[in-house]
Amino acid sequence: MSETQTTGTVTSYLSFRLGDEMFAADVGKVLEILELCPITKVPRSPSYMRGVINLRGKVLPVLDTRIKFGIPASEDNVDTCIVVLDVDMDGESLHLGALVDSVEEVLELGPSDIEPPPTLGSKFNPEYIYGMVKREESFTMILKVDKVFSADELAIAQEVAEKKISDVKAEGEKEESDKKTAKKPAENKKK
Amino acid sequence: MEQFKKKFLEEATELIANLEQALLSLDENPQDKSLHEEVFRIMHSLKGGSSMFGFDKIDAFTHELESIYDLVRNQKIELKRNILDITLESVDHIKILLESGDELSAENEKNHSNLLNKIYKITKSVSGDIITEKEEIEKHDDKNDNVIHNQLSDKPTYQISINPDENIFKNGTNPLYLIDELASLGHCKVFAKTNKIPEFDELKPELCYVSWEVFLSTDKSIDDINDVFIFVDDICEIEINKIDNSNLLEITAFTNEISNVVPDDGFSELDKIKELANNVKANEVKEEEAIKDQSSQDFYSQIKKNVISNIRVASDKLDDLMNLVSELITTQASLTLYAENNQNSELVTIAENIEKISRQLRDNTFEICLIPIDTMMVRFKRLVRDLSFELDKEIQFTAEGTETELDKTIIEGLTEPIMHIFRNSIDHGIESADERIKKGKPKQGTINFKAFHSGTNVYIQIKDNGRGLDAEKIREKAISRGFISPEANLSYQELINLVFLPGFSTASKVTEVSGRGVGLDVVVKKISDIRGEVEIESQLGVGTTITIKLPLTMSIIDGLLVEIDKTSFVIPLSSVDKCFEVKTETLNNNFNNRVKLDGSLIPYINLRKEFDINENCPDVQQVIRINYDNFNVGLSVDKVIGEYQAVLKPLGRLFKDLEIVSGATILGDGSIALVLDSGKIINTFDRETLERREAYYKGIKNIEDN
Repeated sequence: MSETQTTGTVTSYLSFRLGDEMFAADVGKVLEILELCPITKVPRSPSYMRGVINLRGKVLPVLDTRIKFGIPASEDNVDTCIVVLDVDMDGESLHLGALVDSVEEVLELGPSDIEPPPTLGSKFNPEYIYGMVKREESFTMILKVDKVFSADELAIAQEVAEKKISDVKAEGEKEESDKKTAKKPAENKKK
Repeated sequence: MEQFKKKFLEEATELIANLEQALLSLDENPQDKSLHEEVFRIMHSLKGGSSMFGFDKIDAFTHELESIYDLVRNQKIELKRNILDITLESVDHIKILLESGDELSAENEKNHSNLLNKIYKITKSVSGDIITEKEEIEKHDDKNDNVIHNQLSDKPTYQISINPDENIFKNGTNPLYLIDELASLGHCKVFAKTNKIPEFDELKPELCYVSWEVFLSTDKSIDDINDVFIFVDDICEIEINKIDNSNLLEITAFTNEISNVVPDDGFSELDKIKELANNVKANEVKEEEAIKDQSSQDFYSQIKKNVISNIRVASDKLDDLMNLVSELITTQASLTLYAENNQNSELVTIAENIEKISRQLRDNTFEICLIPIDTMMVRFKRLVRDLSFELDKEIQFTAEGTETELDKTIIEGLTEPIMHIFRNSIDHGIESADERIKKGKPKQGTINFKAFHSGTNVYIQIKDNGRGLDAEKIREKAISRGFISPEANLSYQELINLVFLPGFSTASKVTEVSGRGVGLDVVVKKISDIRGEVEIESQLGVGTTITIKLPLTMSIIDGLLVEIDKTSFVIPLSSVDKCFEVKTETLNNNFNNRVKLDGSLIPYINLRKEFDINENCPDVQQVIRINYDNFNVGLSVDKVIGEYQAVLKPLGRLFKDLEIVSGATILGDGSIALVLDSGKIINTFDRETLERREAYYKGIKNIEDN
C-alpha cells in the first residue's frame, strides 16, 4: 500500500484537487467515489467533520478534507466528490468519506517517478506525505492515507475545535490539551 | 452417536449448572430436604447420562459423589461445609472431565483420585457400618431380584381346567381348596365358569355348578400338579395342558388379553391360548427392547419436559433474527413514507398494517432476546463463596431483583465487569473478621446485589459494607501517579471518581485475586461498550456502592422524530413526557433558561443554541418536556414530526467522544437522523451552563477584588 517502500512495481494512485493543490492516494485505499449528496451534520463535532451520509444502509462519516488540511474552503459545486476510503486505524479498518473539490485521474507510477517529500519550506507536514510527483509545472502530493486520517490526528483536531465552542470549558481543559499538543508538535506545524 | 454425545454434553452442562445452583442454595440452607433430593436427583441424571454415553469416569465418579447425598437425604450423615466444599470441587472436576471428553491428564488424574479418596472418607468414616450393611442389602436385593426374575421366566405355564362333578360337595370336598393348593405351587390366574348356575329358585345349594380354568406357571413338574387332584380325580374332570415353557403370567399383555380369550362357557381352546402366548411373547421382546431404550430415554424424557416450555436456540440465530427485524423496520419506514406521498388509500392501509405487524414482531423478538439477570447469579454466588473462603473473610451475599431482564448481549458483556467489581469488593472492600470486630462492625461482611428498572434503564447496584474508599490514599496515589497536581482541590466524590482512571489501583499490594493492574477503568470501558454507565459512591469505614446504569436494549428504540433546521433527530420516546408550542422570542429572550409549561416553571435547553444552528429559525418552536431522573427538563426543537422506530446504527469511532448522540438511524427517505441521548444532553449542557455561570460569577468576583 502507500506505506510500503519501493517495490519496483508500478502502483496506481488516484489524484484529486483541493483548492489549488493536487493530492493523490493509493487506489488500494479507495473504495469508491460518490457524488456529493446531502450530508447530515452532527452537532458538536469538530469543524472538519462534515457529518454523516447513508451509504447503502451504513452510516459513513464524511470529513471536509480542505478544513482538515488547512486549505481555504470553497463552495461545493458539481465537481465536489466524496472519496470513500478504507483507513487502517490501530489495526482496524475504518471506512470514511473524504470530501474533495474534484477527482482528477489515476496515475500509474513506478518508484522512480516518485520524489521524496520536501523537508523544508513545505506547508504540509512531511510526516503525512509519502512522496511527490512532478506533473507539468505543478507537484502532486502522494498522501499516507492511514496516517493522515488516523484516529490520533482527528482526536487532537477535535479538542482544538471544541475550544471554539466553549471558551470557558476550554479553560479547564487547557492544561490537558496543552499537554497533548505539546506531545504532537506536528499539529502546530500544520496550522 | 456423536450427535447424541453432543446433546448429552449440552445437557450435562445444564445439569451441572443446576447442580451448582442447588449446592449453593444448600450452602445457605444445609438442612433443606428438598434440596438434598434435588442434588441427588441431578447427580443421578448426570450419572445415568454419562454411563449411557460412555463417559465411564464421570459415571463412576458421580456414583461415588451421589452416594454421599444418598446418605444425606436418608439422614445418615449431616451435610456440613466440608462436604459441600468437596462436592463443589468435584463438580469442577466433572466439568473438566466433560470438557476433556472423559480423558484425564496426569495432573487431573491425581486430582481425580484425591477427590475420590475424600469422598470415600466421607461415605465410609461417617457411618461405615451402616454403609457396608446397606450396600450389602442392596446387592442382596439385586441378586434376589435377578434370581426370581430368572426362575419365573423359566417356569412353564399350564392351562388347567377343573370341571367338578355336581355332587362334589357330598364328598366333603371344597374345590376352592384345590385352587388354593394350585396357587401355592406358583403364580396363577383363575377364571370361574359360572354359566351353569341356574336361576335362584331352581338353585340347589348342595350342588356344585361352577367349573374353573386356571393358568398356572410353576417350576413343579406336571406330576406335582396332578398330585393336587389325587383325591378328586374320580369326581372331577381334570385337564392339564402345557402352554409354554416360559412364565406367560409375567407378561402383562398376556394377563390382560387372556380374559378376552377365555370363554364364559366351557374351556378355552388350547390352540387359541398358544397363539395368544406366541403373539404376546413376540411383543414382549419388542417391549423389552423398548424398556431398554426407555432407560436410556429416561434421561431424555427429563429433557423433553423442559423442551415443551423452552426451546434452545443458538444465539447467533437470534442475532440474525434481530438484524432481519431491524432491516424490516427500516424498509417498512420507507414503505410508509412512500404510501403517504402517493395518496393511495389502499396502499396507506397496507403500509399501516405492516407497520403494526413489524412493531409487534420487533417487540416479540426483543422479548426473546431478553434473559433474566438470574442466569449470572450462580457465577457470582460461587465467586463470593470461593473467594471469601480463600481470603478467610466471612461474607453474606444477598441478591434482589434477579428476575430483571436484560438483552442477552448486555448480559454477556456484563458478567465480566461485575465479577471484577465483586473481586474488588471482597479483596479490598470487606475487612477480615478480626479487623471488623476491632472496628465494632458485625463480624460478617455483607455484599448486596440489587437490580431494578427505572424508566428506560436497568440499574444494577453492588453494595458492600466494607472499609470504603480512603480519599486521602487515593489523593496521594493520584498525585504520585501524576493524575492530579498536589495543589488540586477536589471534592470527595471527585477523588473517588479517580479510581476509574486507567492504571489506578489503591491496593498497596498485588494479590492474586485483584489488583493485577487491571483496574476499574476496564470495568468502565466494558460497561460503556454496552452503552452503560458506572457510578461509585463510598463512605470511609461504612462501605462502597457501585451503580451500573444500563439501557434495556441495544439495537432498536422507540423515538420521537423531530427537526431542527433541516436536520432530523430522534429523541428516545421513553423519556419524552409532553410537547408544547412556545414562541421563539420567549425562548430567546430568557435569562434563566426557564419556561412556564402546564403552569410550572421548568428549565429548558435551547438545542438550536447548543447545536450552533442559526439558520431558518421558525417563529414558533416546540419544547419537549423530558423526564430526567425525576426532573422535568425541556428541549426545544423546530418541529415535532412524530413517533418513529429507530434502528440504532453506530456512528463509528470518529464520533466516539460525542456523548450526546447515541447513534444514527436511517429514515424512510434514505436520509440520516441522529439519535440523541437525552440524559447525556441534559447532563452535558447542564454542567456547561453551571460552569459558565460559575465562571461568570468568578469573573465578577475578580473584578470586585481588583
